[in-house]
Amino acid sequence: MANPVVLDAKKHHDLRVITKRGAQFGEAVHLVPVIADELRSLVLDYPICFIKDTETGQFGLYALLGFGEGENLYLNGDNWHASYIPLHVRRQPFLVANHTLNDNSSRSVAMVDMDSARISQSADQGEAIFDDAGQPTEYFKQMQRLLAKLIEGSQITSRFIQTLADKNLLEAAKINITLASGEQKNYEGLYTINEQTLATLEPEAVSELHKLGYLQACYLMLASMGNISKLIDKKQESHE
Amino acid sequence: MHQPIHSIVILGGGTAGWLCAGTIAARVKKEHATPPTITLIESPKVPTVGVGEGTWPTMRATLRKMGIRETDFIRECHVAFKQGAQFNQWTTGEHKDSYFHPLMLPRSFSDINLAPHWLNGNTGTSFADAVCPQDTLCINGLAPKNITTPEYAAVANYAYHLDAGAFANFLRRHCVNTLGVRHISDEVTQVNSHDNGDISSLTTDNHGAISGELFIDCSGFRSRLLGQHYQVPFKSCKDVLFIDRALAVHLPSPSPDTPIASYTISTAQDNGWIWDIGLPTRRGVGHVFSSAHGSAEQAYQNLARYAAQSGHDIDKLSVREIPIEPGHRTKFWQNNCVAVGLSAGFLEPLEASALVLVEISADMIASQLPATRSTMDIVAKRFNKTFLYRWQRIIDFLKLHYCLSKRDDSDFWRDNRSNIPSDLQELLALWQFQAPWDSDFDQAIEVFPAASYQYVLYGMGFTTDMGKRGLSKEQQQRAEFEFIQNRQTSQQLARALPDHRELLNKIYQHGLSQV
Repeated sequence: MANPVVLDAKKHHDLRVITKRGAQFGEAVHLVPVIADELRSLVLDYPICFIKDTETGQFGLYALLGFGEGENLYLNGDNWHASYIPLHVRRQPFLVANHTLNDNSSRSVAMVDMDSARISQSADQGEAIFDDAGQPTEYFKQMQRLLAKLIEGSQITSRFIQTLADKNLLEAAKINITLASGEQKNYEGLYTINEQTLATLEPEAVSELHKLGYLQACYLMLASMGNISKLIDKKQESHE
Repeated sequence: MHQPIHSIVILGGGTAGWLCAGTIAARVKKEHATPPTITLIESPKVPTVGVGEGTWPTMRATLRKMGIRETDFIRECHVAFKQGAQFNQWTTGEHKDSYFHPLMLPRSFSDINLAPHWLNGNTGTSFADAVCPQDTLCINGLAPKNITTPEYAAVANYAYHLDAGAFANFLRRHCVNTLGVRHISDEVTQVNSHDNGDISSLTTDNHGAISGELFIDCSGFRSRLLGQHYQVPFKSCKDVLFIDRALAVHLPSPSPDTPIASYTISTAQDNGWIWDIGLPTRRGVGHVFSSAHGSAEQAYQNLARYAAQSGHDIDKLSVREIPIEPGHRTKFWQNNCVAVGLSAGFLEPLEASALVLVEISADMIASQLPATRSTMDIVAKRFNKTFLYRWQRIIDFLKLHYCLSKRDDSDFWRDNRSNIPSDLQELLALWQFQAPWDSDFDQAIEVFPAASYQYVLYGMGFTTDMGKRGLSKEQQQRAEFEFIQNRQTSQQLARALPDHRELLNKIYQHGLSQV
């Protein structure tokens, strides 16, 4: 269970965060939420698709890391075999929450999950958050920038997805793979861009998408689906 | 005679008129470079009847083809999901007498007829429960889909319960704003004709003469064009279906989280039956009865007692009395005029046949729309033949519910065991020794499939004697497998599907996605 607390220079003066990669830090997952701003970097390694939230039915943007629960085919020990690691993975164990103030306005504050395996138990392991003067370290400043980017990016991403859904540009991805063993697998619940609808949009709609940067994002997503074969290869290797 | 059809005029702005306008407009817009124009004239004075609050699953395709988002429809027409109908006290009239007619087909229906195996075996459950999971879902108050299920897609087959008034307005906005239907709110004062008897135009009070090549009469019970103008005779079926009167009332929901039944509840009374249709905001409840067998006062008392069970006092609510003339016109398409909806005919709402008839009529007009006047008579002939058959089959199917009843507590029920149409008599004779199957019907245009007959027959305790020929070991094993599979599916779905109202609330909040 997560145990998020608001960061405090005094209380967390000695807190250190382990920045290594690995399954022990909760990185053995087959899906990671991503933001549209990351598409350009993600497209080099990962298939990127839309997945529905089971509670709300709303689409979210995700990078696909494996084919089943707990399967991250990019992770090998403490090594992440990819040129880019999604922000959501790198932000751990920090998060942002909205705090309501006395005057009813709200402010986002940085928090840390004290139950995260990244919280170091010894003084000589991990990165400090605050320096001796109680000021944020370079490491933490970097994390703050990353969190800010995620917050802003997730709003932009919601608008991007909503626009595509309204224009009926999403479709269920049909992913059937055959492993070398002959085993066949179907993956359901993944959605991608409907290429045909995209290609037959009216010029005004194309222009509108282009101005918002959504058209490029659509093509990046379509291109990213080619990484499925990369993922299948990785799965084969892991079986060998 | 070879003049092209470039203008279609619809008279009447109820559900039938707007469903026709939307279905035809969407179709011609999709198919043609220069589609005919569609004009709908609606009298500002004539109120819509507003019956037809239950649909068939066909409505999903009807709305989708019109380009309507299911989310918008659900939000704006106070829609609830319908997964079937529950018939209470229809067979013996006893308190526990109840059966369910689900919308899903019996399991593996295209491969195996499970009815004889259910009759032969000992599943310990009702027919509906043995062959389909929907009874379980309904009893548990579950929705037929999830919030992640796309618009119009189903986990369990479904139709809708809706607010008929809101629905007509919703369709009008879509037809006018999106499909380019011209809407004229005016009174028609005169019907003008060509020499060959075709209607040339309709004279209106303030918009002059509205001319067209095809006129669709959706004017309701008064049947302004087909009945009044063309004098096409009305064929009553009151000798077979006695119901000729309805008392209708809306029962407001006591609270925003009152559970909503996802099935129509039909409870038999001494001289008719009571419908009960749950919407998020209210229940539409009404008593249809035979005025030859009982008085309106008696029906009112029955309705009052029924409403009182859920704490409603109908003396404080507005109860409407609606006369019903059961039957239909002897033809529906005359010259260049075709009637759809109440102007074509009406039957008691026992199996929600009113709206589905409008849908399939509109669909046939749209798909066979003659290009010129010269071919219209051929289409008209086909249309008349098809729909006369369909009306007859619907009358037969409704009669089935009555003639199978063993109730002996009133003349209404006793009289209902006579005057059985000959086609139905033959089928019943056949089914004494074989279970209904698709081959019993002219499938291409059938309204009620063999599955519906099975659900009603075996729900009402009809017995089919499989005789000495028996059932093969192989088929028995297959059937046993299907029964087990059905039980498992029922349990799985019961775990996977959300509460009915909870899903509706989520749809209001988040909407369903198109894919």
